[in-house]
Amino acid sequence: MKSLTLDHASFWYPATASPALRDVSLEVGPGEVVALVGALGAGASTLLLVAGDLAPRVTGGRLEGAVARRDRSGIVLPTPWTQVSGMAFTVWDEVAFGPANLGWPAHEISRQVDRALERLELVPLASRDPTTLSGGELQRVIIAAILAMDPGLVLFDEPAAELDAEGARTLWRLIRVLAKEGKGILLATSALDALPEVADRVVWLEQGAVRAVGTPDVLAEAAACEAGLGTSVATVWRDSELPEPAPLTIIDAVRRWR
Amino acid sequence: MIPALRLEGVSFSYGTVPVLANVSFSIASGERVALLGRNGAGKSTLVRLIAGLQWPDQGIVWVGDWDTRDCVPEQLAWRVATVFQHADQQLFATSVRDDVSFGPRALGVGEREVQRRTESALEDVDLTAHADQHPYDLPPGLRKLAALAGALALEPALLVLDEPTIGLDRALRARVTRALLERSAASVALLVITHDLTFAAETLDRGLVLDRGTLACDEPLPSLLGDATRLEPLGLAPPPVAALSTALDLPGRPVREAEAARELARVARGRLAP
Repeated sequence: MKSLTLDHASFWYPATASPALRDVSLEVGPGEVVALVGALGAGASTLLLVAGDLAPRVTGGRLEGAVARRDRSGIVLPTPWTQVSGMAFTVWDEVAFGPANLGWPAHEISRQVDRALERLELVPLASRDPTTLSGGELQRVIIAAILAMDPGLVLFDEPAAELDAEGARTLWRLIRVLAKEGKGILLATSALDALPEVADRVVWLEQGAVRAVGTPDVLAEAAACEAGLGTSVATVWRDSELPEPAPLTIIDAVRRWR
Repeated sequence: MIPALRLEGVSFSYGTVPVLANVSFSIASGERVALLGRNGAGKSTLVRLIAGLQWPDQGIVWVGDWDTRDCVPEQLAWRVATVFQHADQQLFATSVRDDVSFGPRALGVGEREVQRRTESALEDVDLTAHADQHPYDLPPGLRKLAALAGALALEPALLVLDEPTIGLDRALRARVTRALLERSAASVALLVITHDLTFAAETLDRGLVLDRGTLACDEPLPSLLGDATRLEPLGLAPPPVAALSTALDLPGRPVREAEAARELARVARGRLAP
């Protein structure tokens, strides 16, 4: 069974006439990283809320079509500061909050928390008060807190938004490792330049509907570049009116340039 | 001429945790400055000091010729407007328009002027169509833009922005760039904290880097962004266009997209010529 299956899913927020998602069918397999791209308002965040069983269960509204998950899912929201429990005085306890609420035995909670802190390079911050962290540090704490619950499907909404270059690199590498361990990953991001290394598939959303699905090569195609969804390299190459196809990455560009 | 902002040996700690140590720099009217550095380097703390929400333990923060210690934040609002990292914390009205108009109305500039500033700021960041919506019905990226519009409506001499492009798509990032370039051309000084070095390259021209609370670097942004060996120890990496220019050895190592595309086309034409 797939980690996530959306079958002709449409979703309306409360008191709205036009759907935020239109007839979306999508599968994420175990071990697969699928990236959602699109202009602001294209529906990527809504799709993650539907995939994570937060819409309509928490948001209200109406869902048509079917959504199936194989395992428990975890979602990292684009507003990490809204995901802090507020019940913990150390980073360690904050990350333990989720696993503790799953009723796991203490040794298993400890194991998962220590592992998540290591993976996000947060061990030096383990005893800090979460309220004293910077934005990027807090974003890593929230990612660790979600991973400590060991979800089979991980949903990320702009997970690198507040991270510095090192933090972003660590996160993208970790996402590939999580996939290797068999987790399904669905990711909404505007960090298009990271996707050739990170994503197995790219889903291009437009006005709530799937416009195209493919490998990250989609991000070098003319249509994507014109819609502002090309990688930087592809965009510069096309703007310079050099011969098609445009390279996707710097390595591709160097190869073409020789 | 008095700089829009001047820090003089500024140090600050949260209790026993030192954050900033002896930081000095100044920003002139119309300058476009990026404040870069790792997570936890002290960037957002610096914003709080400039906005007058915290005072330095040592040193002085001058906003124009005002020492922030002598001012309450609402007085500083005449000269400095700030968009904080988490814009949600500064939005409170029931419509975007009411939120944007709150600042100029609080300054007491007169109702007609409040309306002019509000509509102009909304237009600058493409939010006119969302003006009647509740801020919390907007996605986080647009909430950030609403906070930016609120800052623009104050028409300050100094704009301080903490991560203004988070959650924005390419078109809206370009819109923010345009709005900021217009303000800078009208002599507004800009200090922008960002991890989005592509946006920084397109919008700003001087780079300050904070490293563990000290000022590690102050130089023209284009040369800094192209230099991977210097960026790396500071926890930064060249943005893709700068990396492309280096990898293809483009003359002048452009860091902005339009300039890189022009150079690429020019060099390619030269290769084809007999």
